[in-house]
Amino acid sequence: MIVRGRTPNRLTTTAILSIVTVTFFTQTQAASTADFELGRYLAAECMTCHRAATSTSTIPNIFGLDEAHLSEVLRAYRAKDLPNPVMQNIAGALNDEEISALATFFAKTRKPW
Amino acid sequence: MTALTRRKFNKLASASLATLATPLFAPTVLGQGKPKLVIIGGGPGGGTLARYVHKDGAGAIDVTLIELQKSFTTCFFSNLYIGGFRSFASITHNYEKIKKEGIKVVHDTAAAIDRDKKQVVLSGGRRIPFDRLAVAPGIDIKFESVPGYSEAASQSMPHAWKPGAQTQLLFKQLSALKDGDQIVMIAPPNPYRCPPGPYERVSMFAHTLKKKGFKKSRIIILDPKPAFSKQALFMEGWEKHYPGMIEWQDPKVHGGIKGVDPKSNSVKTDLATYKAALVNVIPAQMAGKIARDASLTDASGFCPIDPNNMKSKVDGNIFVLGDACIAGEMPKSAFSANSHAKVAAMIVRSELINSRAFPARYVNTCWSLIETDDDIKIGASYEPKDGAIKQTTGFVSQKGEAASVRKDNYKESLDWYNGIVSDIFG
Repeated sequence: MIVRGRTPNRLTTTAILSIVTVTFFTQTQAASTADFELGRYLAAECMTCHRAATSTSTIPNIFGLDEAHLSEVLRAYRAKDLPNPVMQNIAGALNDEEISALATFFAKTRKPW
Repeated sequence: MTALTRRKFNKLASASLATLATPLFAPTVLGQGKPKLVIIGGGPGGGTLARYVHKDGAGAIDVTLIELQKSFTTCFFSNLYIGGFRSFASITHNYEKIKKEGIKVVHDTAAAIDRDKKQVVLSGGRRIPFDRLAVAPGIDIKFESVPGYSEAASQSMPHAWKPGAQTQLLFKQLSALKDGDQIVMIAPPNPYRCPPGPYERVSMFAHTLKKKGFKKSRIIILDPKPAFSKQALFMEGWEKHYPGMIEWQDPKVHGGIKGVDPKSNSVKTDLATYKAALVNVIPAQMAGKIARDASLTDASGFCPIDPNNMKSKVDGNIFVLGDACIAGEMPKSAFSANSHAKVAAMIVRSELINSRAFPARYVNTCWSLIETDDDIKIGASYEPKDGAIKQTTGFVSQKGEAASVRKDNYKESLDWYNGIVSDIFG
């Protein structure tokens, strides 16, 4: 939306395309932000095991984890490229949208309450 | 409420971005003041529901938790106490953190539910009004399901299937055994709390006898079922760690359990009469009293629920969580109760403060310790389907796994315990 505010009155085709692209991107971002609520709901499932994780525990801490990294790890569990049947089972029940929502939630949530 | 399936949800979510602008905490006007959630039972279902509604509802819902006990000993991990792996204190928790979070905790007995007036009646007559009620009372023991057994008999023949003094009594009896003393367990019929529990408990009995160097003591399991959870794994483990010590008898072998005699500490079957130093009787079970008194149960003794939202099929203002409900293919476990509570929390918030609703989904994992560092596990994910909670994916430990895998399972179970009790009690 900042780009739209900077747009000159006479729009070129390229500029229009840029606006469309940026607007679409912004809406995608908005959707991702809104999916924080889906992430919150799904994350409740994760909390059962992960909420008391420490630096030395077998079950790792996932709060504040990099969004892309958590997505990658969940996809790897889903594909059974990472071992541990508990996580393969959990991730196996998640679609791409749900993995993104979870990754967004944990990236923005630094610690359990 | 119309069932919100994952398919319908995806369709709705992609239909319009306007959906995303729905206010998260616009309160539904149900009466004066904040909408009220009352919860009966402060275990894995009730505690979890209280905390998630309070936290995710940002305090917009008035949450009251009714639980008689001021401290709560978990049934999960009580076998590890019996086996000497955990102290009693380490599996006992209180409600102080929950209170500090702003949840009202009432240490009293819920004597009745006035469904017409939407009130819970406490033992002294005080009434607590609710907009939504959750009932999570756990199980009661059907003493009469084993002829000769009674609550009085459980003082010498403990069931120890409800945690607390019974668990300590069983530990005391186990600790007092001498080499050559026999143990008999009567296992429960389905459905019951914690399907692998009786067999993990037997493993803990055997661990104790082995640790003491006993050579002559034996353990007999008299089972009314033809098969049990993780059977092949338990039997492999028993043969490996406790060869010749444990005998499991199914109905084809014992021919039927005729009853117990508390005076002689004996158990009679069609095959034989067994006199033992320790008799652990785990009878059939039913939903806790308050659920039965409020007519939330069916002929099975447990409460039918809508798998889409954990609501009682009898009363749409009441949720039933945990061991008391009929959760389809989910086992009765603390993990399951915790999972039920998260679905219920999401639904409660959506109905009382208009937050977004999502399709119900459930998960469970159960770990069982056979011997030191030899831990097995089973787990699954579940969704509503055809009017019941059905398994979608699942796994179970394999026979012959590496010792390192089993040791990691044990460490994982310890971490899980820390996590779930933190989830329930803060």
